[in-house]
Amino acid sequence: MKARPPALDCVELVVNYGTFTAVDHVSIQVEEGEIFGLLGPNGAGKTSVIRALTTIVPAAGGTAMIGGSDLSDSVGVRSCIGVLPESNGYPGAQTARSYLRFHGRLFGLSQAEADQRADRLLAMLGLGDNYKRIATFSRGMRQRLGLCRALINNPVVLFLDEPTLGLDPAGQDEIMTHLARAAAERQTSVVLCSHLLDEVERVCDRVAIMDHGKIIADGTVDDVIAVSGVAGRGRLRVPLDDIGGAVSALQDSRAAKWLNFDNSRPGDIEIELSPDGGARRIILSRLLDAGIEPRSFDLQGARLSDAFLALTGSEREMVSR
Amino acid sequence: MTTKRSESSAGWWVIAKQELIDLWFSSKGLSVLLGFTLLLSALSYLASADAGINLLDARESVGVVVQVSIALGTLAALVVSADAISGERERGTLEALLVTPVARRNIVIGKLVAATSMWVAALVVALPFVAVMADGPGVASEAVLVLVVGGGLVAAALTALGLAVSSVSMSNRTSLAASVAILLLLAAPSQLPSIASNGTLGAVFVKANPVSSGLKLANNVLVRQQPWPDNWGFLISPLLAAIVLTAIAIALSDRLELGGAR
Repeated sequence: MKARPPALDCVELVVNYGTFTAVDHVSIQVEEGEIFGLLGPNGAGKTSVIRALTTIVPAAGGTAMIGGSDLSDSVGVRSCIGVLPESNGYPGAQTARSYLRFHGRLFGLSQAEADQRADRLLAMLGLGDNYKRIATFSRGMRQRLGLCRALINNPVVLFLDEPTLGLDPAGQDEIMTHLARAAAERQTSVVLCSHLLDEVERVCDRVAIMDHGKIIADGTVDDVIAVSGVAGRGRLRVPLDDIGGAVSALQDSRAAKWLNFDNSRPGDIEIELSPDGGARRIILSRLLDAGIEPRSFDLQGARLSDAFLALTGSEREMVSR
Repeated sequence: MTTKRSESSAGWWVIAKQELIDLWFSSKGLSVLLGFTLLLSALSYLASADAGINLLDARESVGVVVQVSIALGTLAALVVSADAISGERERGTLEALLVTPVARRNIVIGKLVAATSMWVAALVVALPFVAVMADGPGVASEAVLVLVVGGGLVAAALTALGLAVSSVSMSNRTSLAASVAILLLLAAPSQLPSIASNGTLGAVFVKANPVSSGLKLANNVLVRQQPWPDNWGFLISPLLAAIVLTAIAIALSDRLELGGAR
């Protein structure tokens, strides 16, 4: 049986602004129903990738097929995508239903079809019983409405640029849950740009990290962490009197790359483990050899945020909840 | 099931319809129209009173009211069109429009239709004033014709101009300021002493300028009682300007940009 083509197949995409190359030969494939995280520091080129793939800015090079339409067929591409831009505005005087009906009509739906889809989406995203003007909506409600608008044409690929920007943790969680649900129920492929790396790690099937217009790592979250070479961390608790001895025992060990005292919890030592296997065993045996019996030793695997920092060499962009 | 359709041919109408609702079911269109009506009422009253005490000839009063109706009606339509694209850009609603399958030129055409409705509304308000005032000196049909044809062409040209400026302006303030400044510059020659436009060069200048040409047409037909056939030439530049500026506004639609972020 012939394999289904990816919902989004972008090869060697290039976007230039004058002489500046914002996107430098970027290739992305997203399968049907897959949630793909596009990460990177500000200015990395994520928004430019989205704008090129949504035909807002022209691609200077490369090819892309989206939902079976070539990027050069802008009307065909726009018929099968949904987009929630980073700085999305809303007409405050309209109601949510009339706003969605208008956008449905722009996608060629009849008035009745547009109304039906609007009602279904508004109910799905918890806005069904709201008949007030959009001007009265909270930021979270507006973002949910934006997601409804992006879904009004049942898109093959949904592009979301910072959909949770400015939302409180509950609002962020709500949007991400709706997003995951939409992808699962409708088999919609999602390209998600976000700085909320914990959320990306939770919902994305695969991620790519961009920096200076190029993709520097991609794959599953585990793949990216492995490529980054970052190790896991551990939290060791020893009797207060044994702190000095524990540090002496571990300082010259290859298993512990880095030690830190947690001043809020005396007796705790945070350890960055060496990526080499067996770090835990080496640390425990060193402590026991020194006659120190640890009270606890909790291990935590490396996170996407650690990989992001290691790969982009920057701490300025990471937001980890 | 995914919606997979080609561009809706009625996309321009969906845009126009929504713009018309936004314009006329909000305070924006009605407040501009109210301002226009109040100004026209005050001017008509003053012109009639002046005619009553013979400060202004009755035909001259009609000419003034028609000219002001054209100028203010055009200004009202220009203000709406100058906000059409740059306003969307500033409010952050443009990108959501640009990612729909509606061709950009249809977005512009829809907005042009909606902005033109402001001139039509101004015309509907002005017609009774002009008809009543022109009834006395017996120039009602000429006045209505000048207002509808001459005024219509000037308004069409300037509405398209406002839209073109709005397409390339990154802020609404810039678009409005630039559009109104252009209108004032084009209208300025009509305020020059008549001696300035009597020479060959002056006449060419007035005829080449769509705004002064339209206003001059009103003056010649209504005040100077010149026959229509002698003044058809004054319709050429408004007609050409309407065609060319509409074409420019539509051509610029292919280069609609969000501006700013990359």
